[in-house]
Amino acid sequence: MALSREAYRELEDIVGSQNISDDPAVLDCYRYPLSHTAIHIGPYYRVYTPRGVAVLLPGSAEEVQAIVKLCNKYKVKFKPSSTFWSAWGYPLEDDTIQLDMRRMDRILEIDDKNNYAVVEPHVIGATLQAEAMKVGLNTHIHGPGASCSCLASATALGGLGPDTLYMGHHNENLLGVEWVMPDGELLRVGSAGSGLGWFCCDGPGPSLKGLVRGMVGTNGAMGVFTKCAIKLYPWPGPAPLPVEGKPPAYKAVLPDNLRVYTLGFPSWKAWADSCYLVFDAGIGYVAHRQFNMFGRDLKGAMVKILSDPTKTLGDIEELLRDPEVQKMTEDMKRDYQIVLAGMTPGDIEWQDKALDKILEETGGWKVKGMLEPDLYNWSLLYMIRLGHKNLNLVYGGGYDGCFGLGGTPDFGTSGEPARVEQATAFKEEWEKKGNIVAAGGDGMMGGIGGMGGGGHSLWENFTHFDPADKESTEGTLDFFNAVAKFGMEKGWGPGMEKMNDYARWSNGRTTPKEIRDRILGEAAQPEAFRYQRKFKETFNPNDLGDGYYRTLDDPDE
Amino acid sequence: MALEDYKADMERCSQCSYCKWIPFDQVKSWRFAKGCPSIAYNNFMSYCARGRYAVALSLINGQSTYTDRVVDIVYKCTTCGSCDVSDKICRYNLEPLEMIRELKFRLVEDGKVLPQFTTVIDHLRKENNMMMKPGTEGGDWAEGLDVKRIPAEKAEVLFHAGCRFSYDEELQEKARTAVTLLKDAGVDIGIMGANESCCGGRVYDMGYKDDFTRLAESTIKAWTAAGVKTVVTSCADCYHAFLRLYPALGAEFEVLHTVQYLDRLIKEGKIKFSKKVPMRVTYHDPCHLGRQGEPYIPWEGKEKKVKNQIVVYEPRRPRYNGAWGVYDPPRDVLKSIPGLELVEMERIREYAWCCGAGGGVREAYPDFSNWTAVERIEEAQSTGAEAIVSACPWCERNFIDAINGTDGKMKVFDVTDLVKQAI
Repeated sequence: MALSREAYRELEDIVGSQNISDDPAVLDCYRYPLSHTAIHIGPYYRVYTPRGVAVLLPGSAEEVQAIVKLCNKYKVKFKPSSTFWSAWGYPLEDDTIQLDMRRMDRILEIDDKNNYAVVEPHVIGATLQAEAMKVGLNTHIHGPGASCSCLASATALGGLGPDTLYMGHHNENLLGVEWVMPDGELLRVGSAGSGLGWFCCDGPGPSLKGLVRGMVGTNGAMGVFTKCAIKLYPWPGPAPLPVEGKPPAYKAVLPDNLRVYTLGFPSWKAWADSCYLVFDAGIGYVAHRQFNMFGRDLKGAMVKILSDPTKTLGDIEELLRDPEVQKMTEDMKRDYQIVLAGMTPGDIEWQDKALDKILEETGGWKVKGMLEPDLYNWSLLYMIRLGHKNLNLVYGGGYDGCFGLGGTPDFGTSGEPARVEQATAFKEEWEKKGNIVAAGGDGMMGGIGGMGGGGHSLWENFTHFDPADKESTEGTLDFFNAVAKFGMEKGWGPGMEKMNDYARWSNGRTTPKEIRDRILGEAAQPEAFRYQRKFKETFNPNDLGDGYYRTLDDPDE
Repeated sequence: MALEDYKADMERCSQCSYCKWIPFDQVKSWRFAKGCPSIAYNNFMSYCARGRYAVALSLINGQSTYTDRVVDIVYKCTTCGSCDVSDKICRYNLEPLEMIRELKFRLVEDGKVLPQFTTVIDHLRKENNMMMKPGTEGGDWAEGLDVKRIPAEKAEVLFHAGCRFSYDEELQEKARTAVTLLKDAGVDIGIMGANESCCGGRVYDMGYKDDFTRLAESTIKAWTAAGVKTVVTSCADCYHAFLRLYPALGAEFEVLHTVQYLDRLIKEGKIKFSKKVPMRVTYHDPCHLGRQGEPYIPWEGKEKKVKNQIVVYEPRRPRYNGAWGVYDPPRDVLKSIPGLELVEMERIREYAWCCGAGGGVREAYPDFSNWTAVERIEEAQSTGAEAIVSACPWCERNFIDAINGTDGKMKVFDVTDLVKQAI
């Protein structure tokens, strides 16, 4: 059903004719292929998210308010998105208006005394980081990397990432929100709402942050966030980053107070122990099992390819035969990367000594191959800017994470054999079928020490496939189905591979209610979703959002 | 290749949006982080490589048809290749720039062309130039210049002026300067004057592949007949056409840009400077000399998979990602000029912002073209430079026109202008 001409004209009056389109080809640019990296559903070969009814590019909160009020008048659903990473930002239903927030892209303020920035929706990690670094500060960049919206991560999802060890999750860094509510009214949450500046999201007065964000963020399904304040952290390095080298193998030779190491360990117990010790020692700026996303067997060859501008994927087989690469790959078998940032010369020396002591206690080592200057300077830049995060798509274009052994570090590493090895062995068997990249079974990647006590590795086992290949895509789905069954049988709980099944189904549209209710009802805290339903009924009476906002009916009603 | 041959690319595009920005490692500020002028100006997702993949897929799947908007999306691209560089930071098996060109070819084949293009192309077919001028005036720029005329005279090196330098009266002097500098340094150089034909590079980027092929084959034939071995040009578009496109049609000439030749001559001591040029300048990398100025490597092969699903090519496919473009020679020339201070803009080399003149955008979308140039002028101004220097007449013309619409303080030079001033 097309939007009525009357509604279209009214919307056009709000944003101007150059900022609205219902051209079919334009609308098809706002559809996400579920044969792809849909995070975390499918993959479903050649299935797309529904075509919207119009795309709008609002330029201000006032325009957003007017659009939302009009949507309420015509009872048309709307879906805002800023940087459109994965299927989350796209409509779940036909006849939805897609709001593309890219015109609202300003960094409104960087307060270098109180360490925060106020940003609009389309500000991305790379630009905020670059500006913050100019005043000796840095911003958390969440897992999807420097290309993604800071506001979307902070308001609409959890926003964890490699630097969470030092800078926390995005939702923890949220110091204020300007929210166009689902009925079109404007609310500023926290101190900004009282006209006191953007320093606190929880007051003065009652905190609405939790209500606004919900359990894990709104996923763009409850109104539109038009501004937010994000906490910044010290950056003891240069601005701009002194990047050199030929693409894509950019490198940065940074001052000696910034160091990066790939740490290897003799056992998974030693690996987990080191995570706790790093957290307890209070060292580290970025810590992540990053390059393992290329797979246990392939990561040594891949870092060689990526740090050398003359290399291509066509070199991988030759590199895999190289004894030096084989040695480095073996050294990195149970690994993670860590960046140390010393605020003073004494601090960096102390941190490095503490790290050496941790390695001594756990039997670990700094992987020598990764200390070679080209690899060292490449990986240091990689970990700080996170500007290559979509290398997770490098092999064939598609990837998704599965298993998801999140929790304390030893959740993944305990068991007999260790859970990570059980998952690895399981995946290796599926790799033999040929539909996913044969990477050695272990593609586990995730953060180190992101929660109090050193927990939350959130290990995703990255699985790579070719979304243009029916057999590969469907074989990957079979594998993910098997992973889900395996994880449940093992008592590990549902895996990352099915994380968004509650919202979007195999036809690209909203998950059938009975399935959705079952999934959410079996979650660890279903009461939260029942509470969210009440919140939604109050703030979103016309139900103009979508199923990404988790709600459950109350069984007593 | 046909558009359909890129279907796997379309389906493998991961929609990461890297194509919209300069490589993230190189982001130095919020202000100058954008890479693709098309989406920066037009905003809808459709106006970037990611969107154009989706539009192409929608068209070949029959989900949409040619509308005015589709025509606008396809042609409102300067084919600057910024997307290609940024995409290839993380992807080794996508060719967005090639797909975008193929999309333009398809529209031209299907008769979906812009009236502004038709005027230019009709004239080109009659007069062999892009400048709406009679072809008989093609040699006027060199009037009175003491230089050999090929093919009547033999010369070791052919200087190809290109349409813009030949017919743009304000810029013609720069071509004369280039020839004089080379000749005075002892280069046995000649020109073809009115017999010179358009290189075809710009119409290739507008989607007129057949016209490009006709022009290229004619030029290759003329050069071969004249015994040309080395071609020098001061135009980045011509350079790209000769270096990257002509070899696929059998050309085997040595191709140099004037800045490369000047750099060589200066380093060999054959050009010596005697005057200071006390000026703070910044250098703009032309897209077709920089990121698209990588040498052609013949390749014929096919896709294959290793490790089950890693997409590679048999034999190894060349990877054009801007790594090996012409960046240092113009900078080395400028740095060698006494008194001249070279300061860099934020977006340089393979991630330089486009001038806005390419892909037919200057001809069809003057507002967009001008906006793109103004963006670059503002970036140049932010360095404190008093002049923006380039190595392409199309960039220089677009900058001059854009500056005329602003405060007019920034000066525009060709590299050769400053070399001349220092001698």
